[in-house]
Amino acid sequence: MLVESDLMALSTTLRLAAITTTILLLFGTPLAWWLARTGSRMRSVIEALIALPLVLPPTVLGFYLLLAFSPSGPIGATTTALGLPSIAFSFWGLVIGSAIYSLPFVVQPLQNSFASLERQQLEVAATLGAGSFDRFFSVVLPLSKMGYLTAAVLGFAHTLGEFGVVLMIGGNIPGETQVLSIAIYDHVEALEYTQAHRLAAGLLIASFLILLIIYGANRRFHLMKIR
Amino acid sequence: MIEASLQLNKSNFKLSAEFKLPGRGVSAVFGPSGCGKTTLLRAIAGLEPGTRGSLSVNAEQWLSEKEPRAVEERRVGVVFQNPSLFPHLSVEENLHYGRKRLKKASKDIDIKELIHSLGIEYLLSRYPDGLSGGEKQRIALGRALLAEPTLLLMDEPLSALDQTSKEKLMLFLEKFLQNIDIPIFYVTHSSEEVARLANNLLLMNNGRVIDHGSIHGVLGRVDGELSRSDSAFSVIEGHISSTQLPGLISINCSPNTVLQLPDSGTRYQSGSEVRLRIRARDVSLCLEQPKRSSILNILPAVITELAAEPHNGSRMIKLDMEGRQLLSKISDYSAQQLKLQVGQPVFAQIKSASLI
Repeated sequence: MLVESDLMALSTTLRLAAITTTILLLFGTPLAWWLARTGSRMRSVIEALIALPLVLPPTVLGFYLLLAFSPSGPIGATTTALGLPSIAFSFWGLVIGSAIYSLPFVVQPLQNSFASLERQQLEVAATLGAGSFDRFFSVVLPLSKMGYLTAAVLGFAHTLGEFGVVLMIGGNIPGETQVLSIAIYDHVEALEYTQAHRLAAGLLIASFLILLIIYGANRRFHLMKIR
Repeated sequence: MIEASLQLNKSNFKLSAEFKLPGRGVSAVFGPSGCGKTTLLRAIAGLEPGTRGSLSVNAEQWLSEKEPRAVEERRVGVVFQNPSLFPHLSVEENLHYGRKRLKKASKDIDIKELIHSLGIEYLLSRYPDGLSGGEKQRIALGRALLAEPTLLLMDEPLSALDQTSKEKLMLFLEKFLQNIDIPIFYVTHSSEEVARLANNLLLMNNGRVIDHGSIHGVLGRVDGELSRSDSAFSVIEGHISSTQLPGLISINCSPNTVLQLPDSGTRYQSGSEVRLRIRARDVSLCLEQPKRSSILNILPAVITELAAEPHNGSRMIKLDMEGRQLLSKISDYSAQQLKLQVGQPVFAQIKSASLI
Protein backbone atom coordinates (compact mmCIF):
# COMPACT_ATOMS: atom_id res chain seq x y z
CA MET A 1 0.00 0.00 0.00
CA LEU A 2 1.10 3.59 0.66
CA VAL A 3 4.71 4.06 1.69
CA GLU A 4 5.52 6.12 4.81
CA SER A 5 6.46 9.22 2.85
CA ASP A 6 3.10 9.07 1.05
CA LEU A 7 1.24 8.87 4.37
CA MET A 8 3.21 11.87 5.62
CA ALA A 9 2.34 13.80 2.47
CA LEU A 10 -1.33 12.86 2.94
CA SER A 11 -1.33 14.10 6.54
CA THR A 12 0.48 17.34 5.60
CA THR A 13 -2.03 17.92 2.81
CA LEU A 14 -5.09 17.34 5.02
CA ARG A 15 -3.65 19.52 7.79
CA LEU A 16 -2.86 22.28 5.30
CA ALA A 17 -6.34 22.14 3.74
CA ALA A 18 -8.11 22.09 7.12
CA ILE A 19 -6.13 25.01 8.57
CA THR A 20 -6.39 27.05 5.36
CA THR A 21 -10.15 26.51 5.14
CA THR A 22 -10.67 27.51 8.77
CA ILE A 23 -8.61 30.68 8.36
CA LEU A 24 -10.39 31.56 5.12
CA LEU A 25 -13.86 31.10 6.63
CA LEU A 26 -12.93 33.35 9.55
CA PHE A 27 -11.40 36.14 7.48
CA GLY A 28 -13.60 35.59 4.44
CA THR A 29 -16.80 36.24 6.40
CA PRO A 30 -16.26 39.94 7.19
CA LEU A 31 -14.68 40.48 3.76
CA ALA A 32 -17.60 38.84 1.91
CA TRP A 33 -20.08 40.72 4.11
CA TRP A 34 -18.46 44.02 3.25
CA LEU A 35 -18.41 43.17 -0.47
CA ALA A 36 -22.07 42.11 -0.39
CA ARG A 37 -23.28 45.28 1.37
CA THR A 38 -20.99 48.14 0.45
CA GLY A 39 -21.71 50.81 -2.09
CA SER A 40 -18.04 51.86 -2.06
CA ARG A 41 -16.15 52.33 -5.33
CA MET A 42 -13.31 50.28 -3.85
CA ARG A 43 -15.52 47.25 -4.14
CA SER A 44 -14.65 46.44 -7.75
CA VAL A 45 -10.95 46.85 -7.04
CA ILE A 46 -11.09 44.45 -4.10
CA GLU A 47 -13.26 42.00 -6.04
CA ALA A 48 -10.77 41.98 -8.91
CA LEU A 49 -7.85 41.45 -6.51
CA ILE A 50 -9.60 38.53 -4.84
CA ALA A 51 -10.42 36.94 -8.19
CA LEU A 52 -6.80 37.19 -9.45
CA PRO A 53 -5.80 33.67 -8.32
CA LEU A 54 -8.54 32.32 -10.60
CA VAL A 55 -6.73 33.52 -13.70
CA LEU A 56 -3.04 33.82 -12.75
CA PRO A 57 -0.70 30.86 -13.16
CA PRO A 58 0.02 29.70 -9.59
CA THR A 59 3.74 30.10 -10.32
CA VAL A 60 3.28 33.87 -10.64
CA LEU A 61 1.67 34.06 -7.22
CA GLY A 62 4.29 31.69 -5.80
CA PHE A 63 7.13 33.73 -7.29
CA TYR A 64 6.00 36.98 -5.65
CA LEU A 65 5.32 35.26 -2.34
CA LEU A 66 8.82 33.79 -2.46
CA LEU A 67 10.26 37.27 -2.96
CA ALA A 68 8.18 38.60 -0.05
CA PHE A 69 9.26 35.75 2.22
CA SER A 70 12.97 36.06 1.37
CA PRO A 71 15.13 37.75 4.06
CA SER A 72 15.21 40.97 2.01
CA GLY A 73 11.46 40.88 1.23
CA PRO A 74 8.90 42.77 3.40
CA ILE A 75 7.55 39.69 5.22
CA GLY A 76 10.95 37.98 5.52
CA ALA A 77 12.57 41.15 6.86
CA THR A 78 9.84 41.51 9.49
CA THR A 79 10.14 37.92 10.71
CA THR A 80 13.91 38.21 10.84
CA ALA A 81 13.69 41.48 12.79
CA LEU A 82 11.31 39.84 15.26
CA GLY A 83 13.68 36.93 15.63
CA LEU A 84 11.15 34.47 14.16
CA PRO A 85 12.11 31.56 11.93
CA SER A 86 11.86 32.14 8.17
CA ILE A 87 8.46 31.50 6.58
CA ALA A 88 9.84 30.43 3.22
CA PHE A 89 10.01 26.64 2.90
CA SER A 90 7.93 26.19 6.09
CA PHE A 91 4.45 24.80 6.68
CA TRP A 92 3.11 28.24 7.71
CA GLY A 93 4.45 29.71 4.51
CA LEU A 94 2.32 27.16 2.70
CA VAL A 95 -0.71 28.14 4.77
CA ILE A 96 -0.30 31.79 3.74
CA GLY A 97 0.19 30.85 0.09
CA SER A 98 -2.81 28.50 0.02
CA ALA A 99 -5.00 31.03 1.79
CA ILE A 100 -4.31 33.62 -0.90
CA TYR A 101 -4.62 31.04 -3.67
CA SER A 102 -7.98 29.68 -2.44
CA LEU A 103 -9.43 33.02 -1.31
CA PRO A 104 -11.88 33.48 -4.23
CA PHE A 105 -13.27 29.97 -3.74
CA VAL A 106 -14.35 30.89 -0.22
CA VAL A 107 -15.24 34.58 -0.58
CA GLN A 108 -17.40 34.31 -3.69
CA PRO A 109 -19.92 31.73 -2.41
CA LEU A 110 -20.17 33.63 0.90
CA GLN A 111 -20.65 36.94 -0.90
CA ASN A 112 -23.41 35.50 -3.12
CA SER A 113 -25.14 34.01 -0.16
CA PHE A 114 -24.97 37.25 1.88
CA ALA A 115 -26.17 39.31 -1.07
CA SER A 116 -29.27 37.15 -1.43
CA LEU A 117 -30.33 37.71 2.20
CA GLU A 118 -33.34 39.97 2.63
CA ARG A 119 -32.13 43.15 4.29
CA GLN A 120 -35.51 43.60 5.90
CA GLN A 121 -35.19 40.38 7.87
CA LEU A 122 -32.10 41.77 9.55
CA GLU A 123 -33.89 45.04 10.24
CA VAL A 124 -36.77 43.17 11.83
CA ALA A 125 -34.30 41.20 13.95
CA ALA A 126 -32.78 44.49 15.14
CA THR A 127 -36.18 45.92 16.08
CA LEU A 128 -36.80 42.72 18.03
CA GLY A 129 -33.76 43.45 20.19
CA ALA A 130 -30.99 41.50 18.45
CA GLY A 131 -27.60 43.27 18.37
CA SER A 132 -25.23 42.84 15.42
CA PHE A 133 -23.48 39.63 16.60
CA ASP A 134 -26.78 38.18 17.68
CA ARG A 135 -28.26 38.96 14.24
CA PHE A 136 -25.31 37.28 12.58
CA PHE A 137 -25.62 34.06 14.54
CA SER A 138 -29.42 33.89 14.71
CA VAL A 139 -30.33 35.01 11.19
CA VAL A 140 -27.37 35.37 8.80
CA LEU A 141 -25.57 32.13 9.65
CA PRO A 142 -28.59 29.79 9.52
CA LEU A 143 -29.80 31.38 6.27
CA SER A 144 -26.31 31.15 4.72
CA LYS A 145 -25.72 27.49 5.57
CA MET A 146 -25.48 26.49 1.93
CA GLY A 147 -23.05 29.33 1.19
CA TYR A 148 -20.80 28.22 4.07
CA LEU A 149 -20.92 24.58 3.02
CA THR A 150 -20.01 25.48 -0.56
CA ALA A 151 -17.25 27.85 0.57
CA ALA A 152 -15.75 25.32 2.98
CA VAL A 153 -15.83 22.44 0.50
CA LEU A 154 -14.46 24.43 -2.42
CA GLY A 155 -11.75 26.01 -0.27
CA PHE A 156 -10.76 22.61 1.09
CA ALA A 157 -10.83 20.82 -2.25
CA HIS A 158 -8.96 23.58 -4.04
CA THR A 159 -6.20 23.54 -1.41
CA LEU A 160 -5.93 19.74 -1.80
CA GLY A 161 -5.18 20.18 -5.49
CA GLU A 162 -2.62 22.95 -5.15
CA PHE A 163 0.74 22.46 -6.87
CA GLY A 164 2.40 25.50 -8.38
CA VAL A 165 2.36 27.79 -5.36
CA VAL A 166 3.60 25.01 -3.09
CA LEU A 167 6.39 24.15 -5.45
CA MET A 168 7.58 27.77 -5.49
CA ILE A 169 7.42 28.61 -1.79
CA GLY A 170 7.33 25.29 0.03
CA GLY A 171 9.87 23.19 -1.68
CA ASN A 172 9.60 19.51 -1.07
CA ILE A 173 10.45 18.79 2.56
CA PRO A 174 8.86 15.47 3.64
CA GLY A 175 6.69 15.83 6.77
CA GLU A 176 6.89 19.63 6.54
CA THR A 177 6.01 20.93 3.12
CA GLN A 178 5.66 17.86 0.93
CA VAL A 179 2.00 17.63 -0.11
CA LEU A 180 0.20 14.99 -2.20
CA SER A 181 0.37 16.75 -5.53
CA ILE A 182 4.15 17.07 -5.17
CA ALA A 183 4.49 13.48 -3.98
CA ILE A 184 2.69 12.37 -7.15
CA TYR A 185 5.06 14.47 -9.24
CA ASP A 186 8.05 12.87 -7.51
CA HIS A 187 6.72 9.36 -8.12
CA VAL A 188 6.22 10.10 -11.79
CA GLU A 189 9.70 11.61 -12.06
CA ALA A 190 11.09 8.42 -10.49
CA LEU A 191 8.93 6.32 -12.87
CA GLU A 192 7.07 4.80 -9.88
CA TYR A 193 3.76 4.68 -11.73
CA THR A 194 2.04 2.30 -9.31
CA GLN A 195 2.53 4.65 -6.35
CA ALA A 196 1.63 7.64 -8.49
CA HIS A 197 -1.57 5.86 -9.51
CA ARG A 198 -2.58 5.13 -5.92
CA LEU A 199 -2.24 8.76 -4.91
CA ALA A 200 -3.65 10.22 -8.10
CA ALA A 201 -6.67 7.94 -8.19
CA GLY A 202 -7.24 8.53 -4.48
CA LEU A 203 -7.21 12.28 -5.00
CA LEU A 204 -9.49 11.98 -8.01
CA ILE A 205 -12.08 9.91 -6.17
CA ALA A 206 -11.92 12.05 -3.01
CA SER A 207 -12.39 15.25 -5.02
CA PHE A 208 -15.30 13.76 -6.95
CA LEU A 209 -16.99 12.63 -3.73
CA ILE A 210 -16.54 16.06 -2.14
CA LEU A 211 -18.11 17.81 -5.13
CA LEU A 212 -20.91 15.24 -5.24
CA ILE A 213 -21.70 16.10 -1.63
CA ILE A 214 -22.13 19.81 -2.33
CA TYR A 215 -24.12 19.38 -5.50
CA GLY A 216 -26.29 16.79 -3.75
CA ALA A 217 -26.81 19.08 -0.74
CA ASN A 218 -27.56 21.98 -3.06
CA ARG A 219 -30.25 19.97 -4.80
CA ARG A 220 -31.82 18.89 -1.53
CA PHE A 221 -31.69 22.47 -0.33
CA HIS A 222 -33.53 23.71 -3.40
CA LEU A 223 -36.12 20.97 -3.06
CA MET A 224 -36.66 22.05 0.54
CA LYS A 225 -37.20 25.60 -0.56
CA ILE A 226 -39.74 24.65 -3.19
CA ARG A 227 -41.72 22.55 -0.72
CA MET B 1 -46.83 61.59 24.19
CA ILE B 2 -44.68 61.28 21.11
CA GLU B 3 -42.69 64.35 20.17
CA ALA B 4 -40.61 64.41 17.05
CA SER B 5 -38.53 66.79 15.05
CA LEU B 6 -36.73 64.70 12.46
CA GLN B 7 -34.55 65.68 9.53
CA LEU B 8 -33.04 63.33 7.00
CA ASN B 9 -31.27 64.10 3.74
CA LYS B 10 -31.03 61.30 1.24
CA SER B 11 -29.58 61.64 -2.23
CA ASN B 12 -32.96 62.10 -3.90
CA PHE B 13 -35.24 62.83 -0.99
CA LYS B 14 -35.52 65.15 1.97
CA LEU B 15 -37.54 64.37 5.07
CA SER B 16 -38.46 67.06 7.53
CA ALA B 17 -41.07 66.04 10.07
CA GLU B 18 -42.26 67.80 13.18
CA PHE B 19 -45.20 66.61 15.21
CA LYS B 20 -46.58 65.86 18.62
CA LEU B 21 -49.12 63.07 19.02
CA PRO B 22 -50.75 61.40 22.02
CA GLY B 23 -49.00 58.33 23.43
CA ARG B 24 -51.95 56.07 22.85
CA GLY B 25 -54.26 55.06 20.02
CA VAL B 26 -53.76 54.59 16.31
CA SER B 27 -52.14 57.47 14.44
CA ALA B 28 -52.54 57.08 10.69
CA VAL B 29 -49.68 58.42 8.59
CA PHE B 30 -51.49 59.41 5.43
CA GLY B 31 -50.39 60.87 2.11
CA PRO B 32 -49.79 60.13 -1.56
CA SER B 33 -47.22 57.48 -2.49
CA GLY B 34 -43.65 58.72 -2.49
CA CYS B 35 -44.37 61.43 0.09
CA GLY B 36 -42.02 59.88 2.66
CA LYS B 37 -44.40 57.96 4.91
CA THR B 38 -42.23 54.85 4.97
CA THR B 39 -39.06 56.88 5.40
CA LEU B 40 -40.62 58.64 8.40
CA LEU B 41 -41.48 55.28 9.93
CA ARG B 42 -37.97 53.96 9.31
CA ALA B 43 -36.46 57.10 10.82
CA ILE B 44 -38.60 56.64 13.94
CA ALA B 45 -37.52 53.00 14.22
CA GLY B 46 -33.86 54.02 13.89
CA LEU B 47 -33.38 52.21 10.58
CA GLU B 48 -32.28 55.34 8.71
CA PRO B 49 -28.77 56.26 9.76
CA GLY B 50 -28.19 59.96 9.27
CA THR B 51 -31.47 61.00 10.86
CA ARG B 52 -31.00 64.15 12.91
CA GLY B 53 -33.16 66.05 15.35
CA SER B 54 -34.99 64.79 18.39
CA LEU B 55 -37.48 62.08 19.16
CA SER B 56 -39.04 61.12 22.44
CA VAL B 57 -41.56 58.34 22.93
CA ASN B 58 -43.51 58.46 26.18
CA ALA B 59 -40.70 60.37 27.92
CA GLU B 60 -37.92 58.11 26.61
CA GLN B 61 -35.38 59.95 24.50
CA TRP B 62 -34.63 57.97 21.34
CA LEU B 63 -32.86 60.68 19.44
CA SER B 64 -31.18 63.88 20.61
CA GLU B 65 -27.92 65.75 20.21
CA LYS B 66 -26.14 62.77 21.68
CA GLU B 67 -25.54 59.39 20.09
CA PRO B 68 -28.91 58.04 18.85
CA ARG B 69 -30.31 55.05 20.67
CA ALA B 70 -29.60 51.85 18.68
CA VAL B 71 -32.53 50.13 16.98
CA GLU B 72 -32.20 47.07 19.20
CA GLU B 73 -32.39 49.27 22.31
CA ARG B 74 -35.51 51.19 21.26
CA ARG B 75 -38.11 48.51 21.87
CA VAL B 76 -39.96 49.44 18.74
CA GLY B 77 -42.22 46.91 17.05
CA VAL B 78 -42.31 47.06 13.26
CA VAL B 79 -44.69 45.32 10.87
CA PHE B 80 -43.57 45.92 7.29
CA GLN B 81 -45.57 45.65 4.11
CA ASN B 82 -43.81 42.35 3.52
CA PRO B 83 -44.01 40.29 6.74
CA SER B 84 -40.32 39.19 6.64
CA LEU B 85 -40.73 36.16 8.85
CA PHE B 86 -37.54 34.20 9.50
CA PRO B 87 -37.81 31.26 7.09
CA HIS B 88 -35.52 29.00 9.14
CA LEU B 89 -37.63 29.27 12.27
CA SER B 90 -41.03 27.74 12.98
CA VAL B 91 -43.99 30.03 13.55
CA GLU B 92 -43.64 29.56 17.29
CA GLU B 93 -39.90 30.34 17.21
CA ASN B 94 -40.63 33.39 15.08
CA LEU B 95 -43.16 34.58 17.66
CA HIS B 96 -40.67 34.21 20.49
CA TYR B 97 -37.63 35.68 18.69
CA GLY B 98 -38.03 39.12 20.25
CA ARG B 99 -39.52 37.95 23.53
CA LYS B 100 -36.49 35.71 24.22
CA ARG B 101 -34.28 38.77 23.94
CA LEU B 102 -36.18 40.89 26.46
CA LYS B 103 -34.10 41.68 29.51
CA LYS B 104 -37.16 41.27 31.67
CA ALA B 105 -40.34 39.88 30.13
CA SER B 106 -43.43 40.98 31.99
CA LYS B 107 -45.65 38.24 33.31
CA ASP B 108 -48.94 39.97 32.68
CA ILE B 109 -48.91 39.53 28.92
CA ASP B 110 -50.98 36.45 28.19
CA ILE B 111 -49.15 34.74 25.32
CA LYS B 112 -51.85 32.12 24.76
CA GLU B 113 -54.54 34.76 24.71
CA LEU B 114 -52.62 36.89 22.20
CA ILE B 115 -51.94 33.93 19.91
CA HIS B 116 -55.58 32.97 20.17
CA SER B 117 -56.84 36.44 19.35
CA LEU B 118 -54.51 36.54 16.34
CA GLY B 119 -56.03 33.23 15.27
CA ILE B 120 -52.69 31.55 14.62
CA GLU B 121 -52.59 28.77 17.22
CA TYR B 122 -53.05 26.09 14.56
CA LEU B 123 -49.91 27.30 12.76
CA LEU B 124 -47.41 27.21 15.64
CA SER B 125 -45.43 24.17 14.47
CA ARG B 126 -45.49 25.14 10.78
CA TYR B 127 -42.76 27.03 8.90
CA PRO B 128 -43.43 30.39 7.19
CA ASP B 129 -43.00 28.88 3.72
CA GLY B 130 -46.41 28.12 2.28
CA LEU B 131 -48.49 30.22 4.69
CA SER B 132 -50.91 32.75 3.24
CA GLY B 133 -50.12 36.47 3.22
CA GLY B 134 -52.77 37.17 5.86
CA GLU B 135 -51.43 34.45 8.15
CA LYS B 136 -47.86 35.71 7.78
CA GLN B 137 -48.91 39.26 8.55
CA ARG B 138 -50.74 38.21 11.72
CA ILE B 139 -47.66 36.25 12.82
CA ALA B 140 -45.47 39.28 12.15
CA LEU B 141 -47.82 41.38 14.29
CA GLY B 142 -47.73 38.79 17.08
CA ARG B 143 -43.94 38.59 16.90
CA ALA B 144 -43.67 42.37 17.27
CA LEU B 145 -46.17 42.54 20.15
CA LEU B 146 -44.67 39.65 22.15
CA ALA B 147 -41.43 41.64 22.34
CA GLU B 148 -43.42 44.17 24.40
CA PRO B 149 -42.65 47.25 22.33
CA THR B 150 -43.33 50.75 23.61
CA LEU B 151 -44.35 51.87 20.12
CA LEU B 152 -45.74 49.84 17.23
CA LEU B 153 -45.08 50.89 13.64
CA MET B 154 -47.08 49.37 10.78
CA ASP B 155 -46.14 50.10 7.19
CA GLU B 156 -49.09 49.44 4.86
CA PRO B 157 -49.58 45.98 6.34
CA LEU B 158 -52.54 45.24 4.08
CA SER B 159 -51.19 46.40 0.75
CA ALA B 160 -49.52 43.14 -0.26
CA LEU B 161 -52.70 41.10 0.31
CA ASP B 162 -55.46 40.13 -2.09
CA GLN B 163 -58.88 41.71 -1.65
CA THR B 164 -60.44 38.90 0.43
CA SER B 165 -57.56 38.56 2.90
CA LYS B 166 -57.30 42.34 3.06
CA GLU B 167 -60.94 42.63 4.13
CA LYS B 168 -60.53 39.84 6.70
CA LEU B 169 -57.38 41.28 8.24
CA MET B 170 -58.94 44.75 8.25
CA LEU B 171 -61.95 43.55 10.25
CA PHE B 172 -59.52 41.93 12.67
CA LEU B 173 -57.27 45.00 12.99
CA GLU B 174 -60.24 47.30 13.64
CA LYS B 175 -61.02 45.50 16.89
CA PHE B 176 -57.52 44.39 17.76
CA LEU B 177 -55.62 47.68 17.45
CA GLN B 178 -58.06 49.60 19.63
CA ASN B 179 -57.32 47.23 22.51
CA ILE B 180 -53.56 47.62 22.41
CA ASP B 181 -52.19 49.82 25.13
CA ILE B 182 -49.28 51.35 23.22
CA PRO B 183 -49.21 54.06 20.56
CA ILE B 184 -49.42 52.78 17.00
CA PHE B 185 -48.28 54.50 13.81
CA TYR B 186 -50.06 53.11 10.81
CA VAL B 187 -48.83 54.10 7.35
CA THR B 188 -51.41 53.99 4.59
CA HIS B 189 -52.48 55.72 1.42
CA SER B 190 -56.04 54.43 1.66
CA SER B 191 -58.62 56.84 3.08
CA GLU B 192 -60.77 53.85 3.93
CA GLU B 193 -58.10 52.45 6.24
CA VAL B 194 -57.71 55.89 7.85
CA ALA B 195 -61.45 56.16 8.44
CA ARG B 196 -61.71 52.69 9.87
CA LEU B 197 -58.65 52.51 12.08
CA ALA B 198 -57.33 55.89 13.06
CA ASN B 199 -57.82 58.00 16.17
CA ASN B 200 -55.19 60.51 15.09
CA LEU B 201 -54.00 61.61 11.72
CA LEU B 202 -50.63 62.76 10.46
CA LEU B 203 -50.76 64.15 6.93
CA MET B 204 -47.66 64.10 4.78
CA ASN B 205 -46.67 65.57 1.46
CA ASN B 206 -43.25 65.95 -0.20
CA GLY B 207 -41.35 64.69 2.81
CA ARG B 208 -43.03 67.08 5.22
CA VAL B 209 -45.69 66.66 7.88
CA ILE B 210 -48.32 69.16 6.77
CA ASP B 211 -50.91 68.58 9.48
CA HIS B 212 -51.42 66.38 12.49
CA GLY B 213 -53.84 65.93 15.37
CA SER B 214 -57.05 64.10 16.20
CA ILE B 215 -58.75 62.61 13.18
CA HIS B 216 -61.78 64.92 13.40
CA GLY B 217 -59.58 67.93 13.93
CA VAL B 218 -57.40 67.25 10.87
CA LEU B 219 -60.22 66.08 8.61
CA GLY B 220 -62.33 69.09 9.55
CA ARG B 221 -59.89 71.82 8.53
CA VAL B 222 -61.66 73.52 5.63
CA ASP B 223 -58.50 75.28 4.49
CA GLY B 224 -56.22 72.33 5.14
CA GLU B 225 -54.19 70.48 2.59
CA LEU B 226 -56.56 67.52 2.64
CA SER B 227 -59.58 69.72 1.90
CA ARG B 228 -57.92 70.90 -1.28
CA SER B 229 -57.45 67.39 -2.53
CA ASP B 230 -60.26 65.43 -4.07
CA SER B 231 -60.16 62.84 -1.32
CA ALA B 232 -61.48 65.06 1.53
CA PHE B 233 -63.92 63.13 3.67
CA SER B 234 -65.67 63.11 7.03
CA VAL B 235 -65.97 60.27 9.48
CA ILE B 236 -69.18 59.94 11.45
CA GLU B 237 -69.69 57.45 14.25
CA GLY B 238 -73.07 55.90 14.95
CA HIS B 239 -74.80 52.66 15.78
CA ILE B 240 -77.11 50.37 13.87
CA SER B 241 -80.72 51.26 14.61
CA SER B 242 -83.21 48.71 15.84
CA THR B 243 -85.90 49.90 13.44
CA GLN B 244 -85.14 49.24 9.82
CA LEU B 245 -86.89 50.10 6.58
CA PRO B 246 -87.16 47.43 3.90
CA GLY B 247 -83.96 47.19 1.85
CA LEU B 248 -82.15 49.76 4.00
CA ILE B 249 -79.85 49.90 6.98
CA SER B 250 -80.51 52.73 9.42
CA ILE B 251 -77.73 54.22 11.45
CA ASN B 252 -78.37 56.48 14.42
CA CYS B 253 -75.68 59.14 14.63
CA SER B 254 -77.47 61.33 17.16
CA PRO B 255 -81.14 61.40 18.31
CA ASN B 256 -82.49 63.12 15.19
CA THR B 257 -79.72 62.31 12.76
CA VAL B 258 -80.50 58.94 11.20
CA LEU B 259 -78.71 57.93 8.02
CA GLN B 260 -80.09 55.33 5.65
CA LEU B 261 -77.90 53.15 3.48
CA PRO B 262 -78.90 50.56 0.90
CA ASP B 263 -78.67 47.10 2.49
CA SER B 264 -75.78 45.38 0.75
CA GLY B 265 -76.52 42.10 2.50
CA THR B 266 -73.96 42.30 5.30
CA ARG B 267 -75.58 41.34 8.59
CA TYR B 268 -75.20 43.88 11.37
CA GLN B 269 -76.26 43.39 14.96
CA SER B 270 -78.66 46.10 16.03
CA GLY B 271 -76.93 48.54 18.38
CA SER B 272 -73.39 47.74 17.18
CA GLU B 273 -71.02 50.66 16.72
CA VAL B 274 -70.09 51.61 13.17
CA ARG B 275 -68.23 54.36 11.37
CA LEU B 276 -69.34 56.05 8.16
CA ARG B 277 -67.04 57.65 5.65
CA ILE B 278 -68.66 60.43 3.65
CA ARG B 279 -66.74 62.13 0.85
CA ALA B 280 -67.04 65.89 0.88
CA ARG B 281 -67.87 65.95 -2.81
CA ASP B 282 -70.84 63.64 -2.20
CA VAL B 283 -72.53 66.22 0.04
CA SER B 284 -74.53 69.02 -1.57
CA LEU B 285 -76.52 71.79 0.13
CA CYS B 286 -80.11 73.13 -0.21
CA LEU B 287 -81.69 76.06 1.54
CA GLU B 288 -85.12 74.40 1.55
CA GLN B 289 -85.92 70.78 2.14
CA PRO B 290 -86.28 69.10 -1.26
CA LYS B 291 -89.36 66.94 -1.70
CA ARG B 292 -89.64 63.69 -3.66
CA SER B 293 -85.91 63.17 -4.16
CA SER B 294 -84.12 59.89 -4.81
CA ILE B 295 -81.47 60.93 -2.35
CA LEU B 296 -82.01 58.97 0.85
CA ASN B 297 -80.31 61.24 3.29
CA ILE B 298 -81.38 64.86 3.47
CA LEU B 299 -80.63 66.17 6.91
CA PRO B 300 -80.84 69.55 8.59
CA ALA B 301 -77.47 71.06 9.45
CA VAL B 302 -75.88 74.38 10.37
CA ILE B 303 -72.89 75.92 8.59
CA THR B 304 -70.03 76.32 11.05
CA GLU B 305 -67.18 77.30 8.75
CA LEU B 306 -66.52 78.27 5.16
CA ALA B 307 -63.14 77.96 3.50
CA ALA B 308 -61.61 81.41 3.23
CA GLU B 309 -60.52 80.84 -0.36
CA PRO B 310 -62.05 78.77 -3.12
CA HIS B 311 -59.77 76.10 -4.54
CA ASN B 312 -60.07 75.10 -8.19
CA GLY B 313 -63.53 76.66 -8.31
CA SER B 314 -64.80 74.71 -5.31
CA ARG B 315 -65.37 75.79 -1.76
CA MET B 316 -65.20 73.57 1.31
CA ILE B 317 -67.94 74.06 3.88
CA LYS B 318 -68.07 72.58 7.36
CA LEU B 319 -71.47 71.68 8.79
CA ASP B 320 -72.73 70.66 12.16
CA MET B 321 -75.44 68.03 12.46
CA GLU B 322 -76.35 67.82 16.13
CA GLY B 323 -72.70 67.80 17.14
CA ARG B 324 -71.51 65.62 14.23
CA GLN B 325 -69.13 67.28 11.84
CA LEU B 326 -69.71 66.95 8.11
CA LEU B 327 -67.77 68.41 5.17
CA SER B 328 -69.37 69.51 1.94
CA LYS B 329 -67.51 70.52 -1.19
CA ILE B 330 -69.63 72.60 -3.57
CA SER B 331 -68.82 74.91 -6.42
CA ASP B 332 -67.82 78.40 -5.42
CA TYR B 333 -70.47 79.71 -7.82
CA SER B 334 -73.25 77.91 -5.89
CA ALA B 335 -71.87 79.11 -2.58
CA GLN B 336 -72.11 82.69 -3.82
CA GLN B 337 -75.54 82.24 -5.40
CA LEU B 338 -76.98 80.77 -2.20
CA LYS B 339 -75.18 83.46 -0.15
CA LEU B 340 -73.99 80.86 2.31
CA GLN B 341 -72.61 82.10 5.61
CA VAL B 342 -71.65 80.84 9.03
CA GLY B 343 -74.64 80.10 11.31
CA GLN B 344 -77.02 79.55 8.42
CA PRO B 345 -79.33 76.50 8.63
CA VAL B 346 -79.26 74.33 5.51
CA PHE B 347 -80.18 70.86 4.34
CA ALA B 348 -77.31 68.54 3.56
CA GLN B 349 -78.00 66.05 0.80
CA ILE B 350 -75.71 63.07 1.22
CA LYS B 351 -75.49 61.32 -2.10
CA SER B 352 -73.57 58.35 -0.81
CA ALA B 353 -71.88 57.17 2.33
CA SER B 354 -69.93 54.04 2.98
CA LEU B 355 -70.35 51.98 6.05
CA ILE B 356 -66.91 50.95 7.19
